[in-house]
Amino acid sequence: MPNSSDVKITDGPRGPKPRKMLSRRNIILYGTLIFVAIYYLVPLYVMIVTSLKGMPEIRLGNIFSPPIEVTFEPWVKAWAQACTGLNCDGLSRGFWNSVKITIPSVFVSIVIASINGYALANWRFKGANLFFTILIFGAFIPYQIMIYPLVILLRDLGLYTKLPGLILIHTIFGMPILTLLFRNYFTTIPEELFKAARVDGAGFWGIYFRVMMPMSLPIFAVAIVLQVTGIWNDFLFGVIYTKPENYPMTVQLNNIVNSVQGVKEYNVNMAATLLTGLVPLAIYFISGKLFVRGIAAGAVKG
Amino acid sequence: MLTKVHPERLFIGSIMLAFALLIMATVGIKPQLLQSLQFLILFVSLLLVIWIGIKAGKFDIITNRLRNRAVGWLIAATFSTALWSFAHKSTQLVFPALKEFRKIWNTFEPFALFATVVFILFALILFIVGSRDSKLERPGFIERSLVHNLSSKIAALPMVLTAVGVFVIATLWTVYHSFTNSRMLPKSEFIGLAQYERLWNSDRWYMSIENLAIYGACSLIFSLVIGFMLAALLDQKTRFENTFRTIFLYPFALSFIVTGLVWQWILNPDYGVQKIVRSLGFDSFVFNPLYNMDIVIYGILAAGLWQGTGFIMCLMLAGLRGIDQEIWKAARIDGIPMWKTYIQIVIPMMRPVFITTLVIIAAGIIKVYDLVVAQTSGGPGISSEVPAKYVYDYMFGAQNLAQGFAASTMMLVSVLIVLIPFTYLEFGRRKNA
Amino acid sequence: MNSIEIKNLSLNFGDVKVLKDLNLTIEKGEFLVLLGASGCGKSTLLNCIAGLLDVTDGQIFINEQNVTWLEPAQRGIGMVFQSYALYPQMTVEGNLSFSLKNAKLAKDEINRRVKNASEILQIEDLLKRKPAALSGGQRQRVAIGRALVRDVDVFLFDEPLSNLDAKLRTELRVEIKRLHQKLNNTMIYVTHDQIEAMTLANRIAIMRDGLVLQLDDPKNIYNFPINKYVAEFIGSPGMNFLQGKINNKDNVSFQIDDTLFELDGYNFQTIVEDKRPVWLGVRPENIVVNDGNKSMPVNFDVVVEVIEPMGADTLVWSHFNGHEFRFTVDGNKVINIGEKINLGFDPLHISIFDFESEDRL
Repeated sequence: MPNSSDVKITDGPRGPKPRKMLSRRNIILYGTLIFVAIYYLVPLYVMIVTSLKGMPEIRLGNIFSPPIEVTFEPWVKAWAQACTGLNCDGLSRGFWNSVKITIPSVFVSIVIASINGYALANWRFKGANLFFTILIFGAFIPYQIMIYPLVILLRDLGLYTKLPGLILIHTIFGMPILTLLFRNYFTTIPEELFKAARVDGAGFWGIYFRVMMPMSLPIFAVAIVLQVTGIWNDFLFGVIYTKPENYPMTVQLNNIVNSVQGVKEYNVNMAATLLTGLVPLAIYFISGKLFVRGIAAGAVKG
Repeated sequence: MLTKVHPERLFIGSIMLAFALLIMATVGIKPQLLQSLQFLILFVSLLLVIWIGIKAGKFDIITNRLRNRAVGWLIAATFSTALWSFAHKSTQLVFPALKEFRKIWNTFEPFALFATVVFILFALILFIVGSRDSKLERPGFIERSLVHNLSSKIAALPMVLTAVGVFVIATLWTVYHSFTNSRMLPKSEFIGLAQYERLWNSDRWYMSIENLAIYGACSLIFSLVIGFMLAALLDQKTRFENTFRTIFLYPFALSFIVTGLVWQWILNPDYGVQKIVRSLGFDSFVFNPLYNMDIVIYGILAAGLWQGTGFIMCLMLAGLRGIDQEIWKAARIDGIPMWKTYIQIVIPMMRPVFITTLVIIAAGIIKVYDLVVAQTSGGPGISSEVPAKYVYDYMFGAQNLAQGFAASTMMLVSVLIVLIPFTYLEFGRRKNA
Repeated sequence: MNSIEIKNLSLNFGDVKVLKDLNLTIEKGEFLVLLGASGCGKSTLLNCIAGLLDVTDGQIFINEQNVTWLEPAQRGIGMVFQSYALYPQMTVEGNLSFSLKNAKLAKDEINRRVKNASEILQIEDLLKRKPAALSGGQRQRVAIGRALVRDVDVFLFDEPLSNLDAKLRTELRVEIKRLHQKLNNTMIYVTHDQIEAMTLANRIAIMRDGLVLQLDDPKNIYNFPINKYVAEFIGSPGMNFLQGKINNKDNVSFQIDDTLFELDGYNFQTIVEDKRPVWLGVRPENIVVNDGNKSMPVNFDVVVEVIEPMGADTLVWSHFNGHEFRFTVDGNKVINIGEKINLGFDPLHISIFDFESEDRL
């Protein structure tokens, strides 16, 4: 015995609006995304595939075809035997140089920048903003204009071409973006907390070590990710401020691949390229959101 | 009468002046006169201190509540004296370990000496007049300017040194020396604009500028457009958003060297894209951007976009996410189609994000160096040269420093042309808000 | 004629059921307020009516037309948001006319409607300004105007006053009420503020966990809350609750410890058996202070603990046999801390809830 409202329920649209999986909108949306994704993935694929082939196979086939015979020899060769100039001990030396450069540089630059940022955010003094503005301006000035005076400075200090000199350089040029990152983060921490700590008798360093630093571990993680990738990927400073036996991995890689002597071994080159990219890639995939947050925070708020 | 002009300020001012002279003397504006002059000026400030003390009538050291801090300055003075003495032969004879860092001590020597003098002066002034009961017009001025927030000032010292010592002084040094005829070593002989004339008569520089203009314009437009479109596509409650974002962004984690080498390989005419298309039957297909002088810069552009667009997308996506969701709802209620909402409402709302992104891209473009070195080394010929490479080659390759300085000064000028209007806009916006 | 009808509406976000088989009928010209704590689904329901969210099941009718699958713009609704959601780079005039221009209306018609709306809302002077140059109250007026120009039958308000300060909120509240009296169209208003709900609504729907607990006019909701949750939620200061049991020996009465309150005059919905554990709820403002003569059917003694003068009246916190008990007295009355006072109430104005289910008995 249906009454009028029962009839209404059975007829007419009900529940979610039906949506076709293959609507035109979805095809365009996902089609574009997948197409672009392929463009982005091709170089990585080519690198991997090439590095696993033998030279004869490379000469015959094309760069996109998967290896018929998988060989790890190019990797071994790139790591231990590839030549730059007269040295033939592979990329391993560059790798260890990069490690020796990156770890102290990251540590020193973050310690200094976080303290700077803290001073700027919570303990303003007269003129602080002027110096900060100069610092941020410095981030946009081409490095080329500051390179040579720094060469002189390092030479005077006796650090030119040595690793500590390069560490100093990375600390200097990492400072603007890191200081900005930390300053912006510390200003978001409620001022009441800072005031409460002062009322409780904590001083400049007490508040930094016992209140601010424990609260800011995520931003330290962001800074580490930012600096490790940045310093590992650096080429310009490495080539200017070090000598061949101290060259970081990127410089050595470029010298191996672009050396004019001998027969080009593309598979070894690609293995070397991948090896160099491996550290930042690993950091990128492990850190995930932190990486995105780091680059976005460093950039947008500026 | 002198109280009217604040002798305390005069004191601080003279110390700063002395410091400026010291820097100039060390940086290479050599005249010995400057080095002696700073100590002359410091002597004047010592007289000032004593005069201030007499005027204030406060020589009572024992009751001065600031004497603890004055002691701190004395301790600091002791340290800088020690540092100063490290540079001297007799000290190094006693402690042979010091000899190893001889160069560092030598660099710091004048600064340490200066610091010693200044610290002692500060200690004196705190002993003598640092009390708030001073009869001077602005009691406590020196106390405030020196001691207030001292930890913060010390903590910010690296920043101040970097900002002034590197970013300002190094820049000015380079600009100054671009007017000299420095070749192997920097000289201070002034030759006017000759280096710039040479620069603008050089084909290689013209090629660099032209390449930079093409690369810059294209990468600006493409990375903004593509970056925004990708961000908009990902903002449609898209499934697998994280996967797509991870894919688009991973090249940004790679260095320009790696990027350049991969694309060098992909664009290799004997093995790469050209060969594949030819093997499909198009025998006359030609695609070898890296070996064609006319289009080599586009080959570099393809690699640059591959590396950087994901980053732009991320900035845009953050901007899109920052837009009030209720704006979207309001637009839907108002019956405005999505594309129109983007163009007429969302993009204008994202103006600050676009401006910031623009500046970031622009600053990145001018620095382009590694990519070119890795992908083409500037070739074929000079057809893919860029200014940053020109600078490097002249400074470290051709041993023609001043030419490199002139080129880098031109780079600085072009950055300032972008940056100054931006800061102006930015500050204008902040004032309005 | 029904303006809005909601039938068996459900909405799930993944596994979370936000709305559970909801039914609601709103008459033409009615002012319905959806009231509830945050997370109760009230805003979600409003977004479903607006078409901003896809429902999982059920139907929505607006003006007897099934709009379940229609786009928001086709539903004949206007909506006002908490954050105002004005288009920042357009002037007030641009904001008001944007949807009309987009619907390709004639120019004079657009001008007429914008003029009309700005007159009603008294924003004629602001037409050339941008939203950034307006105060919060002015912005919200413009937001209302944007719904007004669309000439729709149904207005949806999503916590429109929450971003304003207390004084402006009261002002705009009256304004919205005036607007409703003038236009006489259907309005659905979401809020968590009970004062707004009581003052504005023809009917209030109190929601909790995706369900409508009680749908009634404000007076009934205040006087006859359907369960303990509603009773607690409405009214400030909140209702007193005493835990005890029913005593059916002679007359029906409420027993707490050894004290008996006779419940003559209370309208029980069901027959209540002896010794059933219950809550007795009585509002602080329904308590009378006895000065010697006992005027009320139920009387008892309390000891005063804390006094909070609030101007017009005074809120007194007291103890009744160890149970906390609040009541309000006239602001001029002198009451001392520690004093023993005799109070009384009429069982007509109390509520009895089952102890277990907390439903009204």
